[in-house]
Amino acid sequence: MSLWEGLAVALLLLSGALVVTLRNAIHAALALILNFLVLAGVYIALDARFLGFIQVIVYAGAIVVLFLFVIMLLFAAQGEVGFDPLVRSRPLAALLALGVAGALLSGLGGLKLAFGKDLQGGLPGALGPLLYGDWLLVLLAVGFLLMAATVVAVALVQPSRPLDALRPEERAQEVVR
Amino acid sequence: MSFLLASALLFALGVYGVLTRRTAILVFLSIELMLNAANLALVGFARAHGLEGQVAALTVIAIAAAEVAVGLGLIVAIFRHRESTAVDDLSELRG
Repeated sequence: MSLWEGLAVALLLLSGALVVTLRNAIHAALALILNFLVLAGVYIALDARFLGFIQVIVYAGAIVVLFLFVIMLLFAAQGEVGFDPLVRSRPLAALLALGVAGALLSGLGGLKLAFGKDLQGGLPGALGPLLYGDWLLVLLAVGFLLMAATVVAVALVQPSRPLDALRPEERAQEVVR
Repeated sequence: MSFLLASALLFALGVYGVLTRRTAILVFLSIELMLNAANLALVGFARAHGLEGQVAALTVIAIAAAEVAVGLGLIVAIFRHRESTAVDDLSELRG
């Protein structure tokens, strides 16, 4: 493991640990952005340049910002809410997570992989023929899924009746929300 | 191989987050962490098996975008009904 690899792995794990432990949800989302930016750098180092840029634009730029919007919209920055029905479940959860890590590592350690395939830098020119060839059906299915998700998201957050049709006290409540 | 190690440990961190976090949004953040751990493994495997791994990772990113749109819509809709996003308050399947 070279110096840069070690640094990248350490940064990934540190920011990931911050995401799951920070008490303020906004800070956790910002730590997630840091994690995604480091991950984008790792992608570029692993010959996946297009994916690295997509990671920055779509994940860090769009998805996490959407998270931040919702956290601020719902005033949900407080991470610890209500009472904890399972007292002191953290060590148990940590044990379980370590078990998952052990199972994954033992599975990955048994693989005999020969790295060093020529990926042409993972640029769009190399990915395009695959995406529009063997993976065309997948591409179309994902496009359909995205459209369905957009329709669902709009339908979910719509008020049950349009704002004009609400009674005055209901409208006041809707504005407060 | 170090990225496969990082991928497994990131996935485990996500599992820990899902198990310990008590608000829906933070559980969701941990799920994103797990998705990205899987993506990192896919990109790593692409170095041994060819570009298909990267195309699969691209697909995962698109699906994650759809999942976030629906999930955050659900969280906002639930918050309007229940004034809460704590998962312990939402253990019943009725409004």
